[in-house]
Amino acid sequence: MNRINQKLQEDKKLLSIYFTAGYPNIDDTVSIIQDLEKNGVDMIEIGLPFSDPLADGPTIQDSSTAALKNGMTTEVLFDQLKDIRQSVSIPLIIMGYFNPMFQYGVEAFCKRCQELGIDGLIIPDLPVDVYHKQYQSVFEKYGLINVFLITPQTSDERIRYIDSISNGFIYMVSSASTTGAKSGFGDEQTEYFQRIAKMDLKNPQVIGFGISNNETFSQATAYAKGAIIGSAFVKHVTNYGTDSIDKFVNSIIN
Amino acid sequence: MKLKVCGMKYHDNIKQVAALRPDYLGFIFFEDTPRHFDTKIPEISEDINKVGVFVNEDVNKIIEKVNEFKLDSIQLHGEESPYYCSILKSASRFHKAIEVIKVFSIKDKFNFEVLEAYEDVCDYFLFDTKGKLPGGNGYRFNWSVLNEYPSTKPFFLSGGIGLDHVEDIKLFKKNIASKYCCAIDVNSKFETEPGLKNVSILREFINKLNNKKTMNYNVDEKGYYGEFGGAFIPEMLYPNVEELRQNYLKIMAEPDFQKEFDQLLKDYVGRPSPLYYAKRLSDKYNTKIYLKREDLNHTGAHKINNTIGQILMAKRLGKTRIIAETGAGQHGVATATVCALMGLECIVYMGEIDIARQAPNVARMKMLGAKVVPALSGSRTLKDATNEAIRDWINNPVNTHYIIGSAIGPHPYPDMVTRFQAIISEEIKWQLKEQEGRENPDYVVACIGGGSNAAGTYYHYLHEPDVGIIAVEAAGLGVDSGESAATSVLGKEGIIHGCKTLLMQTNDGQITEPYSISAGLDYPGVGPMHAHLSKTGRAEFMSITDSDAMEAGLELSKLEGIIPAIETSHALAIFGQREFKKDDVVVVSLSGRGDKDLENYIEYFKI
Repeated sequence: MNRINQKLQEDKKLLSIYFTAGYPNIDDTVSIIQDLEKNGVDMIEIGLPFSDPLADGPTIQDSSTAALKNGMTTEVLFDQLKDIRQSVSIPLIIMGYFNPMFQYGVEAFCKRCQELGIDGLIIPDLPVDVYHKQYQSVFEKYGLINVFLITPQTSDERIRYIDSISNGFIYMVSSASTTGAKSGFGDEQTEYFQRIAKMDLKNPQVIGFGISNNETFSQATAYAKGAIIGSAFVKHVTNYGTDSIDKFVNSIIN
Repeated sequence: MKLKVCGMKYHDNIKQVAALRPDYLGFIFFEDTPRHFDTKIPEISEDINKVGVFVNEDVNKIIEKVNEFKLDSIQLHGEESPYYCSILKSASRFHKAIEVIKVFSIKDKFNFEVLEAYEDVCDYFLFDTKGKLPGGNGYRFNWSVLNEYPSTKPFFLSGGIGLDHVEDIKLFKKNIASKYCCAIDVNSKFETEPGLKNVSILREFINKLNNKKTMNYNVDEKGYYGEFGGAFIPEMLYPNVEELRQNYLKIMAEPDFQKEFDQLLKDYVGRPSPLYYAKRLSDKYNTKIYLKREDLNHTGAHKINNTIGQILMAKRLGKTRIIAETGAGQHGVATATVCALMGLECIVYMGEIDIARQAPNVARMKMLGAKVVPALSGSRTLKDATNEAIRDWINNPVNTHYIIGSAIGPHPYPDMVTRFQAIISEEIKWQLKEQEGRENPDYVVACIGGGSNAAGTYYHYLHEPDVGIIAVEAAGLGVDSGESAATSVLGKEGIIHGCKTLLMQTNDGQITEPYSISAGLDYPGVGPMHAHLSKTGRAEFMSITDSDAMEAGLELSKLEGIIPAIETSHALAIFGQREFKKDDVVVVSLSGRGDKDLENYIEYFKI
């Protein structure tokens, strides 16, 4: 069974952390992953940086720009991850935009992911229908789970469609925004979380965008299986470097 | 076999379908259908037979409609008796002798004996599928029933025929049953919505029926130009883009939309823009050069054609807040202008570097009431301004419309922008006819950044094989210099700003920064339509360096008294690079005026 599915079966609320590969330093990738696991993070999204990250706010834009400047590329990332499964056992997901994968070759990219022990992909600008028609079979061939996003504006009908072709979890974007834009949840989010929870989808939901601390983590996981923190973690690394990852994780889950 | 396209409803759509030269166009006067025709028939070729479709209608009403709309035939779709047909057939009050087509509906069986009484009182039979409605049920009947056809009267084959049935029709043609079949009648299978025909699919159908292997250069029903286009957008943008996709053609077809659009283009923009024969320039290059004067539009470029269209679209979609991206500021000014005109909030994203080098346009936008927001990320130019605008849209999904300024972005933007700019080639056609006695020039030429003025200049000529298409890109300091914007040469297939197209990027798929002296051509991608025109070879792509463009701009100023925008100067520079025949008619889109570039010209020529 895919590590993502196994993890989703555990009887606990999951914390997933996003970080930008190659940031703050080009060689931080592996140590960040190891530290996150050691401190109790359940799942990791490794951000493959892109020059034009449309869905991201300034924090992740800046970390992406810096990572590219540091020399991060698809090939460099794959090379850094070549022994990752010797030290890390939690699910690893690569999150990135479609163009770098498209240039690498979608099948070659998926094949390499499988070889390295990557469990899934999140590609915000690969539309559901294009994936469904063109790439689903390739992803499945290499045992990769593709994770789709839904937002408060996504219609019920489309959520059902996305649920039907998903086989891991659904990434619930908490509000209409880019990453790192908002902090804290209002009534609108709570209603949305409740609405989705009531839909009784076959895939569990993990909430992302706008989660930055213990309070928002608890609010989100009251309705969903887990929550994803991205910008807040990248900010932490920017401000405090990679030595105090334990403090950050502890502030969320303890 | 002839072709009838039935259920026509919308003015422009009728003209577009008529341009495909079907033999018959059908207009349904039966009121209880969404395809009910209730406007005017535009001027179309006299070779096209106009058919009025009626269901158990009063004879006087039919005569009235036939005379009012100058119909050539009537098609009777109800339970009209032979006697009723005979009255119509012999009525003398028609403006001309008309043909009568009587419809019979078939499912799996048909009693052909009923035809006998109609033999002498109508000109054609039409066999349709028996269904709940008098017609337009959208599925086929069993054509082998016609094996038993006892008559020699020519008939129309109808009922649910679509693009997928071309092979069936070809098989049917070989069959004895088709001996008296004179025409194929199509309707609902070629529609975007009832009454609105999809011209691309119809063209493909006609070409396939005629075994013609012509390429479709327009967008297809899935939003692609060949392999380019589509909508590669994050889920957060899906509702906005989908709302637009579902509505844009419908809204553009509405008579009151067209009326308002046409009126504003005429009274506010100043259209039609002149098609000017540039005599001295022509003499110099020994060919006939016409300039399509988009520079004379209000705000000084073609950009306003699109912003007028999109602001009207935004209003009909109930949007109250407008965002736009801009490079040199031309599209930003055109957007700020229409927002002032309509009283809508306007936010323009502009790269921090561009804000510094295009101060007059920044001031214009501010005077027009727009808020100019600097894009601080990446290279802080057009590409990043576009990213910021998209991010704004993600954060404001309900009340905001994003007016994209070029023929780029996720479907339906490239097609929508192209359609709004298509007024350029629509006018060239009749203007050239007046001046040269023919609608088609030998070449149409335009500069390409994202490619909106080019798309509009080419649009009505895309499928005219005798018209050569020339696309002019910016070579910057030279295609191989590393400082260039010649996307068709340097670009690879990839995804930028929501569409698959040709774009300049690293081997790793990171989008790179282009360079051109002209801010309007300084874009790392090209619209998906142009990527398709490049890949298929339909258009000839040329690239022009900064220095050749600047010289061509100065030359036009001195020869014709017109100072062009530096973007446009690229298109003009081809005459120094490429031979044309003496009697070739070459139409160049003079996309913008040079006022905004004065500083560049001054600095370059040390004026």
